Amino acid sequence: MRSIISISLSLLIVLNSITVAVADVLPGLSSITESNIRDAAIAFVNTTTSPGLEGTVLNVDNNERQSDQWRSSLGFNAEFTLNDYTFNGYWGLKVFGGRLEDKLRFIDDNGQNVQINLTRDVVASSGSLGLSFPINQHFKLRPFLSLIASDLQSKTVFNDQYVIDNDLPSNTFRSRAQMWSGIISLDAVYSRWYGDYQINLLGQYSSIYTQSFSEESAVLDTEAWNDTLVAKFKLTGPTSLSSAGKPWRWNTYANYTNFLSHNKKSLGYQSLLEAGGGMDWQVNIKPLNWFGWEYIGFKAGLIFGDNVRGYSIGLTTR
Amino acid sequence: MTRHLIIFVCAGFILNACVQAPVFKGEDYAYISSSYPIVRVNGEDVEPAYSYDLMAGENTLVIVFHTYLKDYVCTFTWTAKPGVVYEVTDQDHRYPLTLYVWEPTNSYWASRLDPVEPSQCVQNDK
Repeated sequence: MRSIISISLSLLIVLNSITVAVADVLPGLSSITESNIRDAAIAFVNTTTSPGLEGTVLNVDNNERQSDQWRSSLGFNAEFTLNDYTFNGYWGLKVFGGRLEDKLRFIDDNGQNVQINLTRDVVASSGSLGLSFPINQHFKLRPFLSLIASDLQSKTVFNDQYVIDNDLPSNTFRSRAQMWSGIISLDAVYSRWYGDYQINLLGQYSSIYTQSFSEESAVLDTEAWNDTLVAKFKLTGPTSLSSAGKPWRWNTYANYTNFLSHNKKSLGYQSLLEAGGGMDWQVNIKPLNWFGWEYIGFKAGLIFGDNVRGYSIGLTTR
Repeated sequence: MTRHLIIFVCAGFILNACVQAPVFKGEDYAYISSSYPIVRVNGEDVEPAYSYDLMAGENTLVIVFHTYLKDYVCTFTWTAKPGVVYEVTDQDHRYPLTLYVWEPTNSYWASRLDPVEPSQCVQNDK
C-alpha cells in the first residue's frame, strides 16, 4: 500500500415526498403476515445502509399510508495504489442514521378502521474492502465487500379504538434487533473529458445478505437476501468563479436506485430517480498526507419515478 | 474520562506527525513522489521508483500509468525549485497523471498546488 489516490465523502440529507395512487379500499388487517413485517424491517435497514444511496427522507402519503423516512450518512471511500500491481486497492468507512415514522390504516375483522403508528430508528456503521481494476484510462471495474452492523429499534402503537390483546397493559409495543449485513458489490466506472467538460458514469450492483437477531421479537430473528441496482450520471463544466485562488465547477447529475428484491409494500416505494445540479470547489488537499480530497460542494435535486416526487439537498465531497 | 483524554491526546500526537516534508538530499535538490513508477529521469532509464531526489532546474521524467489494456507513458517537463516537494498522482483528469507541488499547510493536511499536465502521454497496447 503506497498512497491513497481518491476519496469520496458524503454528508447528505435528501428530502422528498412520494405520492402513491390512492386506493379506494383499505386493506384488511389480517393481510399483514410475519413475512411482511420481516421484509419491512430489513427493507428499512437496507434502504438506510445500502451502498450508492447517500441519503433520503421519504414521505409516503396515500389513503392507507403516511410515512416519513430520513437517512443520512457520513463516510469516505478511497483507492490506494499497490506498488508493482496493475490493480489498486479500495476501502471505505461509513456511519449511517435513519428513522421511519409510518402510519398505516387497515380494516379489522369487524370492519372497523385500525391505525398503526410505527416508528423505527437505526444506527449503523460499515467497512468496505475491495480491488479496483483499471481497464483503460477511462474505465474501471471495482468489486468490493462491505460489512455493516446495525441496531434497529421499533415502536408500534395501535390506535385507541383497537386493542390487539386485552391482556396487555398498553397498546404500545417496543422491540429491538441487532443486524449485520454482508454486501458484495460491483462498480463499473467510466470517466471521460470533452474539452473542459467531464462525464462520469457509474453502474453498481449489490447483493446483500442480512441476518437479524432479536431477543424481544421472534419475527425479527430472521435472515434475508436482497439486491440493489444503482446508476449514476454526472456532467461537470468550468465556471469563471474562484475562491482562494481555487476554481469552482458546475455539475448536473441523475441518479437511479432500484431496490430490486424489495416488496413495494414494505416501504411504499421500490425505486428512486433523482436529477439535479450543484457546484464543486476544487480544494485539492491531502488530509494526514494520506488521501487526496479534490472537491467539496453542494447539490440540489428533484426526485421522480416509481410514484416518487420530491427534492433533495446535500453536501458532497470527492 | 481520563482514559478518553489520553486516547485523544495520543491520537492528536500521531495525527500531528502525518504531514512532514521529506529530507532533501542537499540544498540544490528537490524531491518527487509518485503513485506510479518513475522509469526515466532526464533521458536515462532508471529502476522503477516511486520517489526521487532531483537536482533543481529543468527536469524531464517519464512515469508509466498501467491499465489492463494499455500502458500510458507520460512525460513531464518542468523547472524544479530547490527545497520543493512534487507529487504525481491520478485524479481522473484529462491525462492519466498530474504533477503537483506538494506543500504542507499544517500538521494535519497538505495542499496540492500548481497542477502540471504531462507534455505527452503515449498509449502502448499490451
